[in-house]
Amino acid sequence: MEFPRLLALLLLVLDWTQPGLSSPLRPICDLRVLNHFIQEARDAEGAMKSCREGCGLSQSVTVPQTTVDFDVWEKKNAQEQAQEVQTGLWLLQQSLNTLQTSVTNTAMHSHIDNTIRNLLSINAVLRSLNIQEFTPPANATDLEGTWRVSLATDLLQVHVNFLRGKVHLLLSSAQACKPDVS
Amino acid sequence: MMTCEILSRLLALCAIACIARAGSTLQDARDFEEKVSILLKEELETPKCFAEGRKDFTCFWEEDEERAGSVHQYSFTYTYQNENSSRCPLSAVPAAGGKMLIVCHLNRIQMFVQMDIQVHREGILIHNRSLLIELVFLLDPPANVTVSSTGQQGQLNVSWVPPPLKYMDDSMMYEVFYSLADSHIGQVEVARACSEYILRGLQFSRKYKVQVRVKLDGVSYNGYWSAWSDPVFMETLPTEFDPLIISLTLIISFIFIVLCLAMLLSHHRFLIKKIWPAIPTPDSKFQGLFTIYGGNFQEWLGQTNGGLWLTPAFIYSEECPSPLEVLSELSLCPSLPSPPLPPKASRALSAVRNEGRELRNGVEERALLVKDNLDGETDGERAAPHHHWLLDRLRALHQHQVPCSQSSLLESQDTYVTLSANNNSDDERVDSNLEEALPLEALFPSGNTALCESHSDLGSAPQSSGSGCISSQSSFEYPNHAWMAKGPGYTYMAVADSGVSMDYSPMSRVDENGKVPVYTNEYKNMIPAHRKPFLVRQYPVHGDG
Repeated sequence: MEFPRLLALLLLVLDWTQPGLSSPLRPICDLRVLNHFIQEARDAEGAMKSCREGCGLSQSVTVPQTTVDFDVWEKKNAQEQAQEVQTGLWLLQQSLNTLQTSVTNTAMHSHIDNTIRNLLSINAVLRSLNIQEFTPPANATDLEGTWRVSLATDLLQVHVNFLRGKVHLLLSSAQACKPDVS
Repeated sequence: MMTCEILSRLLALCAIACIARAGSTLQDARDFEEKVSILLKEELETPKCFAEGRKDFTCFWEEDEERAGSVHQYSFTYTYQNENSSRCPLSAVPAAGGKMLIVCHLNRIQMFVQMDIQVHREGILIHNRSLLIELVFLLDPPANVTVSSTGQQGQLNVSWVPPPLKYMDDSMMYEVFYSLADSHIGQVEVARACSEYILRGLQFSRKYKVQVRVKLDGVSYNGYWSAWSDPVFMETLPTEFDPLIISLTLIISFIFIVLCLAMLLSHHRFLIKKIWPAIPTPDSKFQGLFTIYGGNFQEWLGQTNGGLWLTPAFIYSEECPSPLEVLSELSLCPSLPSPPLPPKASRALSAVRNEGRELRNGVEERALLVKDNLDGETDGERAAPHHHWLLDRLRALHQHQVPCSQSSLLESQDTYVTLSANNNSDDERVDSNLEEALPLEALFPSGNTALCESHSDLGSAPQSSGSGCISSQSSFEYPNHAWMAKGPGYTYMAVADSGVSMDYSPMSRVDENGKVPVYTNEYKNMIPAHRKPFLVRQYPVHGDG
């Protein structure tokens, strides 16, 4: 008679002390979040175009291709699309880090910092959509589907086009955001 | 037989397909023309390019038909970023106004990458442009626009089918234009990423026209506004009486009516007094006139001490800025017949009788008035004898009320008015004349206040000071022996009161010889001043009331 009560108490205690796997994130399906990042990326590109001094890239960087051919894109499966997007985001992050060290203009520093933070946020959004995390290989810079740019303006333009294109397509077609069809 | 039937059916199907294709081609052609016209207005760069979907891309530019020549002399070259250039096959389409359109159409495109376009004519670059294809969308108008009632008054539900573009549904924005069917002025509402919209605030039982157009929202994709869809007409619901509103209205009206009635009843006496005032009757003034004598005033007079009263009405009449002396005889021979009183005079008498006490004060005021109105001649010394004489006269009148009740004061209908002149050089003369005239001064009982003419009307009295007070109700006779011309400083006027109108006839100023010239003017009933005998008229008096 005492035993069921003790057992219940024990289960409760164990439940509280259970090493917590974090509860799954709620999927962020509202594309206005991405639209906000796109707007800020546009602002950074515009600021870079009007920057006269201390706004150059010290070296050429590798950036993802932004081209979207819908016939080609639709032939890829969801995983390939996700990997392509995550690879591109990783490349952009590396390039923006290089830009950050190259730029001496303080106004541009804030834009670049904001852009890097937004890229991290996009990764979080992808995680919320149950998209498997993908780490590109070390030689990703030599992979197909990349470009080499040497101008800061080209880098930021690629960044904007990548967000508007492939990232937007991936998020808009995410399975987690589609209504359940049972 | 079977084969013939099958063949005939196949032929019919082919014909239908051809017609349908022709129809769709025709529709496509019309749509293309519409888009061309939109871009010619909206896009400034050349060539003008637009994307219709995820795969279709069209560029065109205009050339004069005469100058264009052959299409083959033109080349359209496009280059994507970090790729090799490609050429686009061109076609010529006739346009309005003697123009020709040279068109490049691509079925496979790349988005989110810069595209460089170059147009050459015979090797010479004529047009150059860089663009991103996903930013130049020009879609077809929304299809299947339907307008239906929501079931509520003043509302319509507009729904449509979005353009069939995958991945772009969330990036579309719409404009809904609605107006009255017979008007071109309407309103536009914006809807984002949806396929229906509810119009509110519409008029009841009116026919509305609704149109919709679409555009990409400009974040990931951008473009131009599409053409408006074909108009759809719909009538709104008529007004309906909401039972709740009706009942509330009735209850509030009932409460309001009850409150009004309560207020009216609480102040009914005041309201009755204001709306239906009691008509005053002279019964209280004539004690026993109606109750005992049945309205026979003569009998009543014979039995009472009804006499001549002087009313202060004339005294209290409107201010007369210029001196006015009304000459009349107050006390006459009792032997004169006593005709019935005119109704006006009887009222005057009644007023005078009641205001006898005030009369004395009024006389004093009048004396002061007369004194003050003498221009430049006010003098306390002259006013004093003036004042005493008036009081004496009044006392005399009150003492001799009985015989005077039948005086010709009530008989005559002529009033003779003297107007004193302003610019009298003979001050002493005026004073003496005044004193002579004093015995003749009388205060007429008048039912009405004296009528003051501010300027003349009395045009025949140029020497008048300008205003004189004339009693409109007075009907007194002036005895010839008692009246004397005051002197050259005065202008005299005869006033004949017929009870309906007053005729003013000038009795001009008296010259030194004592003759009074006659003024010829527009006044009626000219009476020469030298005519001594005065008219005695019998004034028929009807029963009072």
